[in-house]
Amino acid sequence: MTAPVPPPVVAVSGLARSYGATRALDGVTLEVRPGEIAGLIGANGAGKSTLIKVLSGAVRPSAGTITLDGRPFAPAGPLDAQAAGVQTVHQNIDDGVVFGATVAENLTLDSIARRGGRWFSTPARIRAEAGAVAEAAGLALPLDAPVETLPAGARQQIVIARALARRARLLILDEPTSTLSAAEADALARKVRRAAASGVAVLYVSHRLAEIESLCDRVIVLRDGRVRRVFTAPLRRAAIVEAMLGEFAAPVAPVDAAAPADRAGRRTVGAAVLTAAGVRAAPGGTPFDLDLREGEVLGVTGLLGSGKTGLLQQLGGARPLVSGEMRLCGAPYRPAHPRAAIAAGVAYAAEERSAQAIVPGWSVRAHVTLPTLRAHSRAGLLSRRSETAAARRVSARFGVKGPGAEAPIETLSGGNQQKVVVGRWLEAAPRVLLLDEPFRGVDVGARADIGRVVREAGTMAVVVASSDPQEIVEVADRVLVLHEGSPAGELRAAEATPERLAALMSGGAA
Amino acid sequence: MTATGTAGTDRARHGTASAGARAAATAYRYGLPALLVAMVAIFSILRPAFGTYANALIVLQSVSVVGVVALGVTVSMTTGGFDLSAGACVGAVVMVTALAMVRFNLTGGTAIVAGLLTGLLVAGVNVLLTVVARVPDLVATLGTMFLFQGLALILTGGQSVAAGMTVDGAPAPGRYTEGFAWLGGGSIGTVPVPVAVFALLALAVYVLLHRSRWGRALYAIGGNAEAARLAGIRVARYRALAYVVSGLCAAVAGIMLSARLGRGDVGAGDPYLLQSVAAALIGYAVLGANRPNAPGTVVGALFIGVMINGMTMLNAPYYAQTFVQGALLVGALVVSYTLTPGRRAAGPGR
Ligand SMILES: Nc1ncnc2c1ncn2[C@@H]1O[C@H](COP(=O)(O)OP(=O)(O)OP(=O)(O)O)[C@@H](O)[C@H]1O
Ligand SMILES: [Mg+2]
Repeated sequence: MTAPVPPPVVAVSGLARSYGATRALDGVTLEVRPGEIAGLIGANGAGKSTLIKVLSGAVRPSAGTITLDGRPFAPAGPLDAQAAGVQTVHQNIDDGVVFGATVAENLTLDSIARRGGRWFSTPARIRAEAGAVAEAAGLALPLDAPVETLPAGARQQIVIARALARRARLLILDEPTSTLSAAEADALARKVRRAAASGVAVLYVSHRLAEIESLCDRVIVLRDGRVRRVFTAPLRRAAIVEAMLGEFAAPVAPVDAAAPADRAGRRTVGAAVLTAAGVRAAPGGTPFDLDLREGEVLGVTGLLGSGKTGLLQQLGGARPLVSGEMRLCGAPYRPAHPRAAIAAGVAYAAEERSAQAIVPGWSVRAHVTLPTLRAHSRAGLLSRRSETAAARRVSARFGVKGPGAEAPIETLSGGNQQKVVVGRWLEAAPRVLLLDEPFRGVDVGARADIGRVVREAGTMAVVVASSDPQEIVEVADRVLVLHEGSPAGELRAAEATPERLAALMSGGAA
Repeated sequence: MTATGTAGTDRARHGTASAGARAAATAYRYGLPALLVAMVAIFSILRPAFGTYANALIVLQSVSVVGVVALGVTVSMTTGGFDLSAGACVGAVVMVTALAMVRFNLTGGTAIVAGLLTGLLVAGVNVLLTVVARVPDLVATLGTMFLFQGLALILTGGQSVAAGMTVDGAPAPGRYTEGFAWLGGGSIGTVPVPVAVFALLALAVYVLLHRSRWGRALYAIGGNAEAARLAGIRVARYRALAYVVSGLCAAVAGIMLSARLGRGDVGAGDPYLLQSVAAALIGYAVLGANRPNAPGTVVGALFIGVMINGMTMLNAPYYAQTFVQGALLVGALVVSYTLTPGRRAAGPGR
C-alpha cells in the first residue's frame, strides 16, 4: 500500500529556451511536490540557472508550460513570481543585493519594493525590521555596514534570509552554499529542511554532491538542457556523476581513486620557491612561517573570516604585508602591487568572481588576456590573433563551454565563467599560483580538471584556499588550517581528512 | 532595480531578438551616423551653399576645436572619470598663449610650450585631487574648472589680451606671430591646419583606446577597477594618464583657438565644455559601442558642428542654438540609455 501522492506544487512540461544557437533548455519536464527537497544538478552550462530564471519570472521560455498548484503559471516578471509564492535565490548573488545600501536596507528590500508598501520609512524603522529578519534567520551581521563591504558569504546569507522571510510555495536555491563554509551551510540545510517540513516545495541546485546526498529526497539530473535521469533516495554518487557528465565521466575517476597518501608519495617536491617568515593572516593573528616548494600544492582552509583571503592577498601583492618578510627564489620579495607580484611570477586568482574579476560586457577573450596584456602586444599594440589563441588555450584546457571567445562573459554559465577567470592565470606562467576559492560553482568534472592542472603543474608551487575541507583534501599535499586569523594546525595530505580539518577549522584539536 | 530583476536577464531577453528588439538594436548602432548623413542632406537641399567643399571645410574647421577637446574628455571618461575642467583649460591656454606673445613678446614656439604646460598643470591639479586626494571626479574637476577660469581672469586682470592693448600705460610690446596664427588659419594643401590636427589626434586616440594595451587597461578600470587592479593594472597611474591626455588635448584645442581668434578673449573656452561633453556622450551610442569611444566622439562632434553650421545658414537666431544643442544632447542620451541592449547599470568598483 502506498500513501496517496500529493499533487505537485510545480509542474513543468516541455520547457524550452534558446540563446542564439545555444539550446539552454531543450524540453524540460519535471515536478516538485509539497514538502519535497528536489536536487537539481548538472554540469556547468547544463541549463540549471536558465530553468530557475524561467521559474522565477526573470526569463521567458520559448516553449512549454508551467503549472503552480495546478494552475497555469506564466509570471510577467520576478515580482509576479514572488507574489505567487515562488521565492528564488539566484546564483549570482550580486544581482540580489543593492550596492551602496546598508545591510539593514538590503534585508528589508522587499517591503521597500513591494507595491502598497510604506512609502515613507525611517532608518530606525528599517533597522528594527531588518533586526527581526536577521534574528529569524540567525544572522549576526553589522546592520549599518554598506553591503559591498561584506564578504560574498555574508551577502549570500542576506539574500537567503530575504527569500526565507517571504511566504513561499516553491523555494528555489541556485548554488546557495558556493560561498558558504561548512557551519553556515549546515545552518542553511536546517532551515531548508524546516521549510520543507512545513509543506514548501524546494528546488535545490548544488555542485557539492555530499550536500545533495544528505539533503535531497530526489535528484533531477540535467544535461544539455534536458532531464537525463531522476534518482530517488538512497542516492548513489557514481551513477549521479555519470548521468551528469555523460561520456565525460571518465576523467573524474582519478580524483576519488587517488588516495591523498599515494599522491603525496608520488610527488617530487623540489626547492623552496616562496618563503615567508613572521607573516600574519590578519592584523591581530599569530605570526607564522611558511615555505612553498616547487611542485607542491598547499591547501589553506578555515571558516569564513579566518584569514585565508588575507593571507593569499598578502602573498600576491593585493594588500600590504601585515608583518614579517618574504623571499621568492632566494631574493627579497615585497610586492607593493599585484603588478609587481605578477612580474615576479606570483599570480593571485581572486575569490569573488563578479566583484574582483568580471568586467561587465567584456568578452571571454578580453578576460583571459587582461593579466597578460603585455605578452599579447608589440610596441603597445594588441594582437587580436595572439589574444584569441590564448582564449582558445584556456577554454580547451578547462573545457569551457559557451558561445565562444568573443561572447560577453555574462552569457557563459556561472561555472564556465569561473573556469575562465581561474584558468587565465596559467597564461601568466607563474612560479607561484595562488587560487582563492577556485572551485566556486564549478561542476565535479571541471573541479577534477582544475585539480589535475594544478597537480600537474610541473615546478609551479600552488596555494589553494577553500572553506570546503573536502575540496582541500582532494588537491592538497599539505594543509594549513586557519582559525580567526591564526594558524590552527598544519597537516600532511596523509593525515588530513575532512573531519580532522573541520575540527581544526572550528578551533578544536585535530 | 528590484531584488531579483537582473541586468543579466535583461540582456537575456534581448537575446530572443524579437523583430522589435532587433530593430531597436539596429537603430541604436547606426541611428546617429544615419541621422548625421540625413542632416547633411537636408541642409544641402535647403541651402545649396551648405553642400559645397568650401563650406565642408568651414564646418570641419569649427568642429576641430570642439572635437579635439571631446577626444580628451572621451579618454577621461574611459576610466570612469569625467573631465569637467576641459573647457576652462581651453580658456586658460588661450589666455596664456596670448599673454606670452602679446604681453611678453615671446616667440610662437614658446607660446605653444607655455600652452601645453598649462594643459599639464590643469591635468596635474586634477590628478592631485582625484587620484591622490580621492575627491570624486565630477566634484574635483568642477573645482579645477573654477580654479582655472579664475586664474585666467587674474592673469589678465579680467581683460582680453590683444595686440596694442595698454599695459601699465604703455602699449603691449608684442603680437601674434605669423607662425602661430598659421595653426588657426593656415592650411596644408587645401586642408586647414586645425582639421589636420583633429584628424591626427582622432587617429592617435583611436589607436590608444581601441588598439593598444593601455586603452584596454583604461577601459578595464572603468568597467571594474578592483578587477583591473587584481589583474595587475596600476589603476592610479592610468587614471592619471587619462587626465593628462585630456589636459593635453584641451591645450592643443586652446592653442588652435587662440591662433584662430588672434587674441586672448575672456571666456573663450567656455562653450567648449558642454559641446565636447555632448559630443562624447552622443558618441556612446555610435555603432553600439555603449561606452566612450573615439569614432563615436568624432561622429558626435561632427553632429554638433553640422547642426550649428546648418542652423546658422538657415538664419536661425544665435540665441536659439543653445536650446537646440540641449535638445540634441537630450535626444542622444535617450538613444544611448533607452535603446541600449541590456547593460549593467552599476557594479562594485565602477
Ligand atoms: N544570456 C545568455 N546569452 C547566451 N547564452 C546564454 C545566456 N545565458 C545562458 N546561456 C547559455 O545557456 C547555457 C546554460 O546556462 P546556465 O547558466 O543555465 O547553466 P547552469 O546549468 O546554471 O551552469 P552552472 O553550473 O555553471 O551554473 C550555457 O551554455 C550558457 O552559455
Ligand atoms: Mg548556474
